[in-house]
Order: sequence, then structure tokens, then C-alpha cells
Amino acid sequence: MIERRHAAWMAAPSVAILAGVAIVPVFAAIWLSLHRSIVIFHDQRFVGLANFRFLLSDGRFWSALGTTIHFTVVAVAAEIALGLAVALVLRRGGGLLRAAVILPWAIPTAVSARMWAWLFNADYGLLHRLAPAVDWLGSPATALYAAILVDVWKTTPFVALILLAGLSSIPESVYEAALVDGASAPRTFFGITLPLLKPALLVALLFRSLDAFRVFDAIYVLTEGGPANSTETLSIYAYKTLMRSGDFGYGSTLSVATFACALVIGLSFVRWLGRER
Amino acid sequence: MMPGMRAIGLLALASLACARTAPRDASEVVFRHQPLWGDPAPFHAMLDRFRRENPDVRVRDETMPNASDMAREMFLTTLDGGGTELDLFAIDVVWAPEFARAGWLADLSAAFPADRLRDAYLPGAIDAVTLGGRVYAVPWYLDVGLLYYRTDLVPRAPRTYDELSQFARAAMQRDPGLSGFLWQGRQYEGLDCNVFESIWGHGGDLVRGGGIALDTPAARTGLAWLREAIATGLSPRSVLSSAEEETRRAFQDGRAVFLRNWPYVWAEAQNEGSPIRGRIGFAPLPTVTGEPGHGTLGGWQLAVNARSPPMRRRAAERLAAFLTSPDAAVELALRYSRIPARRAVYDDPRVREGAPFIAALLPIAAAARPRPVTPYYALASDSIQGELSAAVAGLRPPADALSRAQAIVDHLQENR
Repeated sequence: MIERRHAAWMAAPSVAILAGVAIVPVFAAIWLSLHRSIVIFHDQRFVGLANFRFLLSDGRFWSALGTTIHFTVVAVAAEIALGLAVALVLRRGGGLLRAAVILPWAIPTAVSARMWAWLFNADYGLLHRLAPAVDWLGSPATALYAAILVDVWKTTPFVALILLAGLSSIPESVYEAALVDGASAPRTFFGITLPLLKPALLVALLFRSLDAFRVFDAIYVLTEGGPANSTETLSIYAYKTLMRSGDFGYGSTLSVATFACALVIGLSFVRWLGRER
Repeated sequence: MMPGMRAIGLLALASLACARTAPRDASEVVFRHQPLWGDPAPFHAMLDRFRRENPDVRVRDETMPNASDMAREMFLTTLDGGGTELDLFAIDVVWAPEFARAGWLADLSAAFPADRLRDAYLPGAIDAVTLGGRVYAVPWYLDVGLLYYRTDLVPRAPRTYDELSQFARAAMQRDPGLSGFLWQGRQYEGLDCNVFESIWGHGGDLVRGGGIALDTPAARTGLAWLREAIATGLSPRSVLSSAEEETRRAFQDGRAVFLRNWPYVWAEAQNEGSPIRGRIGFAPLPTVTGEPGHGTLGGWQLAVNARSPPMRRRAAERLAAFLTSPDAAVELALRYSRIPARRAVYDDPRVREGAPFIAALLPIAAAARPRPVTPYYALASDSIQGELSAAVAGLRPPADALSRAQAIVDHLQENR
């Protein structure tokens, strides 16, 4: 009994900090999302679910949601595939190689996005020189893929590191047994490596999906959501509504909707992970 | 449950206490602004002069990040929360009506009467800070859209759109590596400025009955002209992803005939080492009729926090008067190349001698037009940008884009 008391006291500071920086703001945002609160009108009025009703009929929200899902699915799939390949290579590589691979992850996103914006620049960007017919950031058809490329470049090392940790936890003896039984390399990969790597894969998938779904900085620096809102994700729409338009009520509604989606993604992955154990 | 609640309460108290750690006496004025580009010493010397002349006022000078979006974010959160940690602050020209409508800006009409300002300042600058006849901010320095051209590639500055396109095409024929006309077509506030200028150049007006009017014949031809510029190759497709710096670099590298941009480009392009040094001219934007066009008005204004207690408010007004005085404007023009909002400063011998480019800008600055001066502009601008971007990118015909933008604007304006 006394020990449990102690435990509660020990945990209290972290609970308080969590409550202060995460839980209270989340509930404050939910509370604000039930209000009409536009700075220029200088009013704050409780409107119940009116903002959410508007959300359902707001074409820009659905298109931002579609863009976000598109971005998340393509970027995370590419990151997992590439990260796995990199991890398999790194397993045999030395410390220097591992340090080199982590470099993109160490650069702040805003900085790397700015760097990529110059690479994409349609006048003298390097990528433009290589493929002059593609107007990376100026065309609604390619701008989102440009953003995906930047995200993949930046976060593949992160995925690779998680998968590398997963790989090193697979005992060497399993591979030796496969070798003795005469299993081919693909057979070993699909029969041993992948199944045993599954928990690490799921962790990488969870982290990356949640991050990609809330993507903001890379796209904001590259295109600010343009052209024609073709790269506008939920976070960007919410930011613009909150800070540019000064519509705190509907902006909070958008944030709450983003939060709800991220929560659903997170919970389903966690349940999936739990079943795997 | 109870200890948890108490912890939250303590935390809240602690954060409140933090906000109040710096006690301020009644006459300390906090002045918050973005950094003036360049060496801060002359500006600090200016503030020291104010301190010497006003020993009863203490001035705390606070610099904000040099990014308009971040400054706006800070103002929205601070002022909406009723914060009094700033008294005098510099705001972007399009925020004045919005912040005034929100009740955040002190009415300065007593200290700065509208008719007196109108006599001394350029008309656009005063239009932008008055709402319903009341003055809510004092113009500090301004910015205006203008046309740069290469004196070695074209005979003279074009007066009409046809001339611009003719001159550009002739130069492009001689040198196929050249771009014709560069402007800012990325989806951001700068796109609005470019489109508005084209609408004004095609004889349009953006305000009707106090509201924003976008679905007009002149707006359709103005927007269509920009779209056509891209479709016909007069402007490269790269303008669709360009903001100011991208176009300035391309022009400065000598790869374009014409550039629409702000006055800062002049100093950069005339710098030693600039490939086009001595080979550029500037002019008002073209129009359909050949009359000098109107550039979009930009720049920063000084506003006083409506929540500041009376003593600090009066001190803030004195500081604003000092910073916007003719002498201060001359200093800002000479040391920081800031474009004066006061008419007389352009004729000041010191400016004519030390900053001839600024002195020569007077006709362009005098013709500058503000974006629609309505509290709804910021609210509407974001949606307008999306539609204008769709039109210049060729996703939607200009007429469709404008009627969609108008529908959004009308919805916002009805919602008042």
C-alpha cells in the first residue's frame, strides 16, 4: 500500500507535466472548436457542433484530408521499403556508414526543405536541369510528389535505424539453421527476416504514419500548400485558418479533426502491435 | 483525482507568475518590431536620441523574428489574450483594419488627426490605416510594386501591356535564353499583390460598396492576362513557384527582360558584382491605356495597444510621433533604404543626395494602392489565394476562379 502511494508520488510530476503540455491544451482546443471565435468579430460564442457540421460540407477540408492521406500512404510506403533496404545494407556496414546515413535526419526539416526548394527551382535548380520538362513545385500534378520526395529523403534514415535495431535482435543461429537446411536467400528473407522483423516494422510504421499525417514544415517551406491548394494538408489548412485568417473556432475544429484522425491511426497500430506480441 | 487537479492548478499559477516576473513602471514603453535590415547601430542611436529628449519615458526595444507570418502569429495570440506586454508595435499594412475591428488598436485620431496626416503623407498610406474616418496606426515606411527593365535589351520602359509583351518578345528572339516577364505566382500573399496590380492595370477596382469585389469584367481580363503570359511563354512556368527572391535572382543573373518586384531589388541589382549593374531601369507598372499603373502598397505601420494604460499609451504616441517624424524618415531612407510614407521626405536634399533612387520613386509611391481596406481582407485572402493560384496555373478558367473566390468573400462578408 505504502509502495503504491510512493509510486503515485513519483509519477505525479510527469503526470502533471503531461497534463499541462498535452492534455489541457487538447481539451482547450476541443472546447474552442465548439465556439464561433473569429478575431475580427471580437466575439466568442458557444455554437455547439455548428463548426463540425460546416466541416462535413467543407470541400477544402475533404480535399486537404485526401491530400494528407495521399501524402502519408505514399511517403510511408516508400520510407519503409527504402529504410528496409538501407537497414539490410547497414547490417554489414561500419560505424562511419551508419553515421553518414543518419545525416539527413539530423538536418532540421525547415532547413532541408529550403535546400530542396532551391534544388527544385524551375530556373536553375539541379533537379530541373536533370528533367527540364518537369515543373516540380509549380504544377499541381507534381508538387505533392516533390514534398513526398523531401519527406522520404529526410526520414528514411530514421526508419532504417529502427529496422536495424530490429534486425540485430534476430539471433544468428536462426540463419545458420536456414543455411544448414539449404534455404535460398529469398526464402530466408521472406521466411525468417520479415516475420521476425514485424514488431520493428510496425513500430516504424506507427511513428512514421503519425508524423506524416501531421506533416507541416516541409510542405509549408516548399509550397505553402500551393499551387491551387494541391499540397494543402490538414495541418496547413488548420494553421492558415487559425493564424492567417484569425478564425480560432473553425481552426480548432480542423485541429481537432486532425487529432481525431491521428488518434484513430495511432490506436489501430497500437492494437495491431499488441496482437503481434 | 484531487492531487492531480491541485498539480494542474499549481502549474497554471506558476505560468501566470512567470508572465508577470518583469515588473514595469508606469512610463516604460515596450516597442516591438521586426529588425530593420542591416546594421542596427543607427536605429539604436535614433532611439537614444528619443530617450535623451524624453527623459520621463523609458523605452524597451524588442525585436521580433524577421518573418511576417511569425509576427502575425505572435500578435494574434498576445492581443487576443488581452496582453499588455507591448505598447507600440509595427504591423503589416493589411492588418490595420482587421486589428482595429478586433478592438486591439488604440484610436490615435486625437494625437494624429486624419486631415493632418492626409496633408503630410502619401494618399495610399493613409487610406490603409483609417477605418470609418478614425486613425488606428501611423505609416512608418512603405513598399510598392514596380517594374524593373533592362536598359540594354529594350528601348525604354513599356507603358502598356502590349508594349511590354512586344519589347520582351523582340529581346527573346535575339536571345532565346531570356525569360520575358518575371512576377510572383506562388500561392501566397505576393500572388494577390500581382493579380491586384494587373486588375488595376486593366481598369478594375477591388472595392464595391465597402466590400471586396472580384467577379468583375476588369478582374477577369486582368487575371486572364497573367494566365496568358504563362500560356504564351511571355513568362516562364517557373513564376508559378516563385516568390520575390526567386525572381530577383533570375533577373539579377541577367536571365530576364522584365521583373515585377519591390524597391529592395534596386540596391541588390546595383550592387558591385551584380551582372546587370548599370543596365537596369525602373518604371511604374504598365496599364492597358498607357497611363502609369498602380503598384500594391506594402510596408509597416506603428500601432498602439488599446489595452495599454493611459500613461503608457501617451508615451507610446510620443514615440510613434518621433519615429515617424520627417527627420526619422530621412534617416530610415538613408541608412536602411526604407521608402518614406511622408511626401516631403522625397524632396529633402539629404535624400536626393544620398538616396537618389528613393527620391525618384515619388510618383510610383504616390500612386500605390492598398489592398482592399476591410477587416475581412485577412480572413478572405487565404481563400482568394487558392483560387487565383488555380487560375494562373491553368487549372480553372479565370472567370470560374473569380466567381468561386467571390462566393467565399460574400459568405464571409454576410457572416458579419
